[in-house]
Amino acid sequence: MVGALASLRGYLFTIVGIGVGVAGLIALGAMSERIVRFIEGGDRFVLGQISVAGKGMGMGAGFTAGGLLPSATLRAVAAVPGVDGVQAQVMLPLNPSTSQFMTLTQELVLGMDLSVPSPNRAFRTLPVQRGRFLREGDRRVAVVGASFAASHGLEVGGALELEGQRYEIVGVLERMLTAPDRFVIVSIADAREQWVAKDAMLRTLLASGAAALTAADLNTGAAVGWREGEDPDVVARRIRDRVAAVNVQLPSELSALLKSSTAFFATLTVAIGTLGLVIGGLSLANTVAAAVFERIRDFGVKRALGATDVQLGREVLGEALGVTLSGGLGGIALAMALGLGIDAWAARTGQQLFFFSPRLLGGGLVFSVLLGTASAAYATFRVVRLSPAEAIRRGA
Amino acid sequence: MLRGEGLVKIYRGPSAPVPVLSGVDLRVEAGALAVVAGTSGSGKSTLLNVLGLLEDADGGAVWYGDVCVSALSRSEKSRYRGRSVGFVFQSFLLLPSLTALDNVLLAGKYVGAAKAESRRRAQALLEQFGVLARRAHYPRELSGGEQQRVAFCRAILNDPPLLLADEPTGNLDDDNAALILRALRDRAEAGGAVVVVTHRPDAVPGAHAVYALENGRLTAMNPRERKVR
Repeated sequence: MVGALASLRGYLFTIVGIGVGVAGLIALGAMSERIVRFIEGGDRFVLGQISVAGKGMGMGAGFTAGGLLPSATLRAVAAVPGVDGVQAQVMLPLNPSTSQFMTLTQELVLGMDLSVPSPNRAFRTLPVQRGRFLREGDRRVAVVGASFAASHGLEVGGALELEGQRYEIVGVLERMLTAPDRFVIVSIADAREQWVAKDAMLRTLLASGAAALTAADLNTGAAVGWREGEDPDVVARRIRDRVAAVNVQLPSELSALLKSSTAFFATLTVAIGTLGLVIGGLSLANTVAAAVFERIRDFGVKRALGATDVQLGREVLGEALGVTLSGGLGGIALAMALGLGIDAWAARTGQQLFFFSPRLLGGGLVFSVLLGTASAAYATFRVVRLSPAEAIRRGA
Repeated sequence: MLRGEGLVKIYRGPSAPVPVLSGVDLRVEAGALAVVAGTSGSGKSTLLNVLGLLEDADGGAVWYGDVCVSALSRSEKSRYRGRSVGFVFQSFLLLPSLTALDNVLLAGKYVGAAKAESRRRAQALLEQFGVLARRAHYPRELSGGEQQRVAFCRAILNDPPLLLADEPTGNLDDDNAALILRALRDRAEAGGAVVVVTHRPDAVPGAHAVYALENGRLTAMNPRERKVR
């Protein structure tokens, strides 16, 4: 062990060079992973439920955007064969004047009917990091997403004002790296009150008595589940056919829609990942190969002393393995230190730019070691083809 | 013991091939110290490299005893070098990342020598050449004379029957040069074959044979010539 460490000491600059290359690779990969996680999280969510909204335009936001979804319609949806659970929801933009600008990162208020278990198969519950989730009968309390909590400086026991009302924060969700990170989750009754407070037209309509509406009719959408063994797309089509005045999103359609709307980010992800591989990979390969070529004279001397090609190759590959492994681990540590430092700064505005997933770290390390070893093997192959005298001459 | 027969070496020049060795014959018996003298660029280092299988000749053959070693495979040549040939270079060629002791031990590493025995012998040699106290030092921490003494220890660690030295005293002061020359003579007297190439024919007193390498050809020099040049 001591011998191995001592032999690596001579490669300090090489290890640092590899570390910088791997750090670039991992940092760019972590940004890419962050975007991937955002898109995958949304995809998991929409594939876990059938999303239903009222026909037409409305105040709702996110995947329940559409017209009003009255309680009678919800009952009709629940009666469709294959349906297993209908949870009424109200989803509103926190700030209607600005938050529509970037729909992927907007802050939303989600009102949930807590008398019904979540029909979403991917998210039966939302993971709470601190405090608790909402309970049936809760009023004027909220659970907030991790980014929302960070950007608004909220903690359990703190308070948030929504449409002139004080809401106590009872829970903060775990960071999910997808939409709920920016949610404020309240009971559906509270969300309905906020909706009325936000929407002057709705207030006028309710006050006029022209429409026979009750509070239970104020839903922007519903999450619908399906029975075990049912095909969710088939159930969604059945709802579409049997219930009037609804927009029904087939999970597969919504997933495709989400993918097409996030195509830019998906492409960006591929581009960042490719860039990381190319920049980090080239830097690493170049550093390792240069380290071998730098020692060309040493190889000439060793061959003069009797080293065979196999002995020399084994020696160089062993060293390359140690050097790239050390550089790779150092690079990962460097990338994580930088990324976590930047994220700590960005957390003040609720942002997280990097996600160091185990698959990224493991893959990055394996990639580094394989590429480093391959580069060392290539360089060694070039070096051992020279005669010992030529190697000594070139290295002089 | 060592024979070079009709050795030819031609380097590719920018405009035309440059012949360096044009049919060189050389024979060095066990117990003999042979000197090859020549001016800079005469090809004496190339001859030494060809004799030590550090590079291939374009023609001719190198024999060691009954074996045509120049016809061996690459790995066989490596093994032959490790077991049978010791090299001493003008610029020492110690590995900068290794201590003096580890540089000497390197010679035993590739021939499968027992580690403990190699270490014992390496330390004995370093002591014999007055550099044992410097065994933990790196080459950059040693004087030129000390580096050459360490390099000499490395060359003879495996007790090779053939020792090839390229300007071994070229970078040394008089005291260190005398020490190395005495060691070369001792190797020959102990039964080894020693070939020294140098630009000064009188640089190696006590040589059994002195040759001049000119225009790619080797000729034996008589004692008077050795002093005149």
